[in-house]
Amino acid sequence: MTFMPQRGKDRMPEIAIGIDLGTSNSCVAIRDGDATKVLANAYGERTTASVVFFQEGGSISVGNAARAGLVHDPARTIASAKRLIGRFFGSEEVKKAQSICSYKIAEGDNHGVVIEVGDEQFTLPEISAMVLREMKTVAEAQIGQPVSKAVITVPAYFNDNQRQATKDAGRIAGLEVLRILNEPTAAALSYGFGRGLRQRVAVWDLGGGTFDISVLEIGDDVFEVLATCGDTFLGGDDFDDRVIDLLADEFLSKHNIRLRHDPFALEKLKVAAEGAKKALSTEDEVEIRIPDVIAGPDGQPLSIERSLTIDEYSKLVHDLIQRTFGVCDAALSQAGVVARDLDGVILVGGPTRLPLIREAVGEYFQQEPRSDVDPDEVVAMGAAIHAASLVNPMRDDAFLLDVTPLSLRIGVAGGLAESVIERNTPVPIEQTRRFTTFKDYQESVDIRVYQGESRNVQENELLGQFIFSGFQKARRGDVSIDITFEINADGIVDVKAKDLSTGKQASTRITLSAGLSEGDIENIIESGRTERVVSSDTEKKPGEQLETRAGNLAQPDEMLGDLSASDEDLVLEGGILDEAVLDAGALGEEALDDGTLGEGTLDEEALDDGTLAQGSLDAATEIVSDLPPQPAVVVEPEIEPIEADPALRPIELDDLITDEIEIPPALMDDDLLPESDDLLELEGLEDVKLAPAAIEPPPGGKITAIDEDLTTTAPTIVEGEVEDLADDFFERPGTDLSANDDDETKA
Amino acid sequence: MAQLAPTEIAALAGILGELDYYQLLHLTADAKPSDIKRAYHATSRTFHPDVNRHQDPEIRRAIDEIAKRIAEAYSILRNPRRRKAYDQQIQTGSGVRMQLAEAEAAGSRKQTEAQGRTPQGRQYFNMASANLRQSDFANAVRNLQTAITFEPDNAFFKEQLAIARKKLDPNRR
Repeated sequence: MTFMPQRGKDRMPEIAIGIDLGTSNSCVAIRDGDATKVLANAYGERTTASVVFFQEGGSISVGNAARAGLVHDPARTIASAKRLIGRFFGSEEVKKAQSICSYKIAEGDNHGVVIEVGDEQFTLPEISAMVLREMKTVAEAQIGQPVSKAVITVPAYFNDNQRQATKDAGRIAGLEVLRILNEPTAAALSYGFGRGLRQRVAVWDLGGGTFDISVLEIGDDVFEVLATCGDTFLGGDDFDDRVIDLLADEFLSKHNIRLRHDPFALEKLKVAAEGAKKALSTEDEVEIRIPDVIAGPDGQPLSIERSLTIDEYSKLVHDLIQRTFGVCDAALSQAGVVARDLDGVILVGGPTRLPLIREAVGEYFQQEPRSDVDPDEVVAMGAAIHAASLVNPMRDDAFLLDVTPLSLRIGVAGGLAESVIERNTPVPIEQTRRFTTFKDYQESVDIRVYQGESRNVQENELLGQFIFSGFQKARRGDVSIDITFEINADGIVDVKAKDLSTGKQASTRITLSAGLSEGDIENIIESGRTERVVSSDTEKKPGEQLETRAGNLAQPDEMLGDLSASDEDLVLEGGILDEAVLDAGALGEEALDDGTLGEGTLDEEALDDGTLAQGSLDAATEIVSDLPPQPAVVVEPEIEPIEADPALRPIELDDLITDEIEIPPALMDDDLLPESDDLLELEGLEDVKLAPAAIEPPPGGKITAIDEDLTTTAPTIVEGEVEDLADDFFERPGTDLSANDDDETKA
Repeated sequence: MAQLAPTEIAALAGILGELDYYQLLHLTADAKPSDIKRAYHATSRTFHPDVNRHQDPEIRRAIDEIAKRIAEAYSILRNPRRRKAYDQQIQTGSGVRMQLAEAEAAGSRKQTEAQGRTPQGRQYFNMASANLRQSDFANAVRNLQTAITFEPDNAFFKEQLAIARKKLDPNRR
């Protein structure tokens, strides 16, 4: 392999890995020369459960070993953290997670989310960092060298808050995050890399918690994303939820006991539902048996025994699958293609192993989805290919041109969110819009940045806000402020404001108020509080047999086969969930307590699939344990120098939420108006210069009627009508806000 | 496209504000959509941040600026409606950059602005039209100015205003 000389000297190849940080499972891969390979853990497992188990006593286990905690100690076992990362505590998704998760989700600083375990609290980036560190350790054990650089994938539809939080997680895990890469883009890269394809493909990606669809054009090793759409409320977990509902409802009518209210029972249902999904990927029927799901009124253990056919399952999840096609319609239309234009459909994510999904997707796209792509590994492999090309650019590198999945907006007068960069615009990109003040002698403007597809601010996700002040006081409309929005190649947003008359500037990394600050991240890294992992899949316990580890009863060769290795607990021959498995509580307990279940040695034959044999494993483990502590990689956000501005202060989310609820948005003091250049250019109009949409608050400043009016007349946005609506609203103030504007009109 | 030397990159970044999107992408004004796509790919290969990680930070900043402008150019030129609005803008010499939202608005604006898009704008424009018919140019100018305060970006109103002014004062430039 030849490396391109850079600036006259040959560079040593650097090591950089690709990590698919999944909702349910994570996977790590590396490109080594011409081969890209998934790195398995010490047990030969090629994916690692994104699960963190906080054991009593303070130690933490991560990965497949931690899965035992799900049924053993659900309140201390954190799964599906990706559903919560970068979210506000008050968001719908957090409410939903609270209803289905057995661990405690609490409100953290600035309306963020923390997870409470005993008397400790962890932020989501910290939880994800533990999983990422595990993946890093898996990689280091396999390649026998320290790893400090990675490309981490996220769902394409992740917003800025979620991307930033994921990047923070990488830093906490001791990784320099080279790029945040969209999962479907990574999958397409892995599929098309080095094959000289000229194709249009769709990537249909159903993860544990999210759905993404991307349409790409591949040609001459350029991978151009034409459009991406998604639904962050839809994933494989929702499929499992339907089965849980079915089982819980049946149990309720039979025994009058609500299983969902018992965390232990709920976790057993979850494991069963997930297992059923896996089994139905290969079988037409699965036998679900959950012995001792809960104790009955007389203390006798009650159990669930039921068979579930593929037809029944299909009915349960039918509408979920259909929902994805609505999203696909949008993506195809935005990409300007129809299904028959596509040369291939790539399926990503564990649930796509379900034949009923493959059939439905095939029907929608009028073609068989590709079957030569491993839906669990393709994303990590794409990330690895990209990671390698970033650190060691080579002639044959593929080249990614991605887009921003969500429209970037700014809040303006009237409770509206004005689009600045619309979705599916290529990144990196920068746009500048000119705004003016809303009131005479206004002293500051409140700059709020949103992502989403609605003209109504409340229906978008707030990314952050800052107050820009200190500009020349003048009549409304006489102040011109340029606001520059940048979206970088990671999909992360930066905003700068500049007062044109004074040249005064302010810039900020748009940070979710609930997100971690630079200081927070440094403190976390310093404290090492995410590094107490005692039980990880990278260290095989002496004498432990694969088959018996932590409730693991799967046959080793099955684990390495098609079925996702991390859910071995429930995957048994014939698609039958054996009751012994679901008795995992006891078994897992034993396994965890002494860590030395069973006798004998690692079944080396079972691990012939490119993984380590016993001897080399020990060596690798030793290398890892001898590693010097990873230097904390501090990546300063690249922002313009900020001029000292005592008046510029980050607004607490408190203020903001209060504002939004109690003060009609149209009447906020600090509102902005989009300014037209033309207004300034007009000649001879000095005497009548007024901002056309200016709405004067009446004396006392309370106009509840207007607020209601605004609420009820908030425009419903139909694709393609957005700008028209915008024009209407801003330039016809008398229509919606008649009471106040009549005066002005007459004047 | 070959990799550029740092001095060439700095030079290009320096004149970025003067290049229109066609010049930036090495295209002619009659470029076909496939040409535009190819040019976007080719220029991105040189300037995308992913291929420039190893450059010095200062050069990287210049490259980032160029890369962002390339994406902007592509976003405008690949969309026929936006491209049309942009072409008109550069023909009238009103700047080489066009913000995406402007280009979008320009596309949908055309249809409605001749009638006026606000009740007030329409009202004053109709009055101005009546004035013009009666050769009352002074009032036509005043009414058009008022109409423009309600629709400050209405190019049609502005054209009409220019006409009325010229009639009012033929010596005006």
